[in-house]
Amino acid sequence: MSTPTRTLKNLWKIGLREYIHQMWRIGDTKAGTLVGTDRFGNRFYENTTELPLRTRWVDYVKFDFDASQMEPGWHAWMAYNQDAAPTASVKQGGMKEISEEHFGREWIGEGMKPNMTMTRGAYRPYNTTVPKIETWLPETKARGQ
Amino acid sequence: MSLARLATTALTAAPATSILLPALTTGTLTHIRHISTSPRPPASALAPTGTPAQRSPLPRASVPLPSQEPTKGVVQYALTTLDQMANWARQSSLWPMTFGLACCAVEMMHLSTPRYDQDRLGIIFRASPRQSDVMIVAGTLTNKMAPALRQVYDQMPEPRWVISMGSCANGGGYYHYSYSVVRGCDRIVPVDVYVPGCPPTSEALMYGIFMLQRKMRQTKITRMWYRR
Repeated sequence: MSTPTRTLKNLWKIGLREYIHQMWRIGDTKAGTLVGTDRFGNRFYENTTELPLRTRWVDYVKFDFDASQMEPGWHAWMAYNQDAAPTASVKQGGMKEISEEHFGREWIGEGMKPNMTMTRGAYRPYNTTVPKIETWLPETKARGQ
Repeated sequence: MSLARLATTALTAAPATSILLPALTTGTLTHIRHISTSPRPPASALAPTGTPAQRSPLPRASVPLPSQEPTKGVVQYALTTLDQMANWARQSSLWPMTFGLACCAVEMMHLSTPRYDQDRLGIIFRASPRQSDVMIVAGTLTNKMAPALRQVYDQMPEPRWVISMGSCANGGGYYHYSYSVVRGCDRIVPVDVYVPGCPPTSEALMYGIFMLQRKMRQTKITRMWYRR
């Protein structure tokens, strides 16, 4: 929920430059603490005084953003699967050790890719079986012969 | 009169031949002539897929997609601005026609509830296909429902998009081998976004909507008109 007082209060906290940036990206004025940055450069913020499910937000690096562009651990934090940020240890409610243990895996480590659909890197299914349908080519002789 | 009937009349009726033969020779019915007389083309020219050697010799990464082509020239920049305005209007007031067929529809309903709150994205469910832009096919499409789906799709005004939601709508899913189920709604209507899942969560459907919005953003409306 946005009121003029909240907007002005947050604008006072974050400054005009960040205000324009936020209005351009997320369409709201939010002030919070910077929790961390993932290795792609997306910045994650938190403000627990906001309404529920609006307390955590992300400032993407890319303008054409989507949720697959953040690291899996941070995505879990954004989706409220984890209480603490993935940089925090397991004892504090984070997943630091788990992330480090599984970092070699493709989906969480260096091989993690964002959604490549609508690009040349998009997934294309292929078939390895013999096609069931044979194309039919009509062959007709010329008339009058 | 269909083209085949037209061709038959042209060949049988002698008085009509002089009138209809120019139409036959000037290209409207060239494919019929092509079938009857031309030699059989090699199969490699017609096969949609082949071994990698038979495909285009260009490496895939070297050819940009139409959405990835850079803007060149003053006219294209001006038309790009027009396209951006039109695409912004399209993507921020997305009115879906709900084609709820099965349990996926429940997840689709969750999208409209306050937790996911589709209204903040400008998405309002419309009951009429004539007022809607997107059709969300949510659930198993049966053979009995298929004509209705196609009719509803035909009643939607252009531009229109289709989101296929759930594995049943994507490819038959659990009921793929049933005698009464269409194996994917893309056999009936052209689909823009496939949302996988059985059923997909509301987040997944919302992500599919975001993908559709990205597709809308990359649409070249006036630029394609100018190119033509």
